[in-house]
Amino acid sequence: MAVRGRHLALWGLFMAGGLLLPLLVDTGIIGRGTLRTIIMANFLAIFAMSWDVLSGRTGYISFGHPFLIGIGAYTTAILTRRFDVAVEYSIPIAVLVTMIGGAVLFIPALRIRGSYFALVTLAFMELVYQLVQVIRPDLTGGTRGMSGIVTLTKGAVQGYYLSFTLMALLGFFLWLLMKTRLGTALSAIGMNEDSVAGSGLNTTRLKLVAFMLGAFAAGLGGAFYVHYLGSIAPRALFDINFVFTIIVAALIGGAATITGPIFGAFFLTFLLEYLRPVLPGAERYLIYGGIALLVYMYQPGGLHKILEVGLERLRKRANP
Amino acid sequence: MSACLELTDLVKKFGGLVATSGVSFKVEQGESIGLIGPNGAGKTTIFSQIMGELRQTSGKILLYGRDIRRLSTPARIKRGIGRTYQVPRPFREMNVLENIRVGLMPDNIWKMVFEGPDRDREEELALSVGLSPGDLLRTPAELSMGDLRKLEMARTMATEPSIMLLDEVFAGLTKGEISQIGDLIGELRDDGMTFLIVSHDLPALEPLVDRCIALDQGRKIAEGPFDEVMRDEAVRASYLGG
Repeated sequence: MAVRGRHLALWGLFMAGGLLLPLLVDTGIIGRGTLRTIIMANFLAIFAMSWDVLSGRTGYISFGHPFLIGIGAYTTAILTRRFDVAVEYSIPIAVLVTMIGGAVLFIPALRIRGSYFALVTLAFMELVYQLVQVIRPDLTGGTRGMSGIVTLTKGAVQGYYLSFTLMALLGFFLWLLMKTRLGTALSAIGMNEDSVAGSGLNTTRLKLVAFMLGAFAAGLGGAFYVHYLGSIAPRALFDINFVFTIIVAALIGGAATITGPIFGAFFLTFLLEYLRPVLPGAERYLIYGGIALLVYMYQPGGLHKILEVGLERLRKRANP
Repeated sequence: MSACLELTDLVKKFGGLVATSGVSFKVEQGESIGLIGPNGAGKTTIFSQIMGELRQTSGKILLYGRDIRRLSTPARIKRGIGRTYQVPRPFREMNVLENIRVGLMPDNIWKMVFEGPDRDREEELALSVGLSPGDLLRTPAELSMGDLRKLEMARTMATEPSIMLLDEVFAGLTKGEISQIGDLIGELRDDGMTFLIVSHDLPALEPLVDRCIALDQGRKIAEGPFDEVMRDEAVRASYLGG
């Protein structure tokens, strides 16, 4: 799990390539529509990475991830729209509040695991969905949500730079962190929590760190997402399809890898986008569900593992 | 001087079932004790209570004279107890070195993040239990049962215990592997390690222990030198079916 020079070089290439990509818009190689699709992929990658730290590593599967994303998004939306708080303050506050939400989500993990935990997290999401609609709709906008929220960018290119920079920096930070012994310990929890405790490590504290990290990323992503869109709609945010898109992106890309969810998010977003003209309705989800199933059956490690195995074969062929 | 480990009147009930019924014994520093008895005698339940994985219904557990009943499992491990399991529990997607790394980790998040792994120590521990250099990057799925038990010993030793509880350490091993594990226990004993060993393999156990404690249906039925316990009428009746 060591950090190697070639890994850092790949990250450097990825970041440089990402930052140069908008130049292709001017040359006409890619359109602004494609850039907007990439923006959505960047945000999905952030949400999938945050799920990966929390659930992919520890094995505590959360079906209620929008609970955390929603806290981040609503906190900054309410602060800026209703109380005129500047964005540079509202976003850090939103991230902190989401981390408190992460600690709340952690409470059931002290006692329950597996499918029971997953169901409780789903209940958390449903609870917040109902709460934002009935409690102080003058603040939350009720069922209609909120619009006119301050946006940080104008146009696709600026939106792209914001989302890509955020995704790449967050991804690199989480990837680096998961390469340390902390990442090893969190992965070990997902494999055998009792053995981690049997190795003298406080598993409660480790899980709390994973939940807070996941909440940090979800809150950051949620807050920036709402300031990119300029609006928030509870029905779209607390939607079960949104939950599954996040989870499938992480799994199809490769859980517990950080880079996998980035691949997964791009793969899924573009797949859904390309299917849109052919299958404009919800049947697109059938296709992506089928592809996710095939990838997962063929290689449970996801696209990340398929790529890793492929590169290893190439290396062996080059140096037999 | 207080005993290394002392159990007094330990009782564990699961509803109406009494799994441990008033068991008391002492283990002195550097001693090696065999814990024997038929299936369901309560041997593993005693281990789980010593480790804090199961809370006792009543009774005392003292480690170097200190009551450890309220301590969590990691806290007990920090105070010097280590345990292996009847069915090895490795981290299946990690290689041998990474498995040992978990045992070597400090229970401190900052140190986990800012201090790198001690690869020399990981390798040293793996080789010291008899794993070969070729095994170091293998995952548990690629190891034999004997090597899995060695790996578990190495991970337990990484926590620097002064007393090791070995549960069915010879189960599923070939004669050669039994001999290797036996030699390893012998070497650790020479270095002053204290052992409490559960095993059904009595011939393998005999040369490794100073004395034996026999259990049946949660009760201690005999204690003494290996031969003496084997000749005990109650032991023969319950354990050996004699």
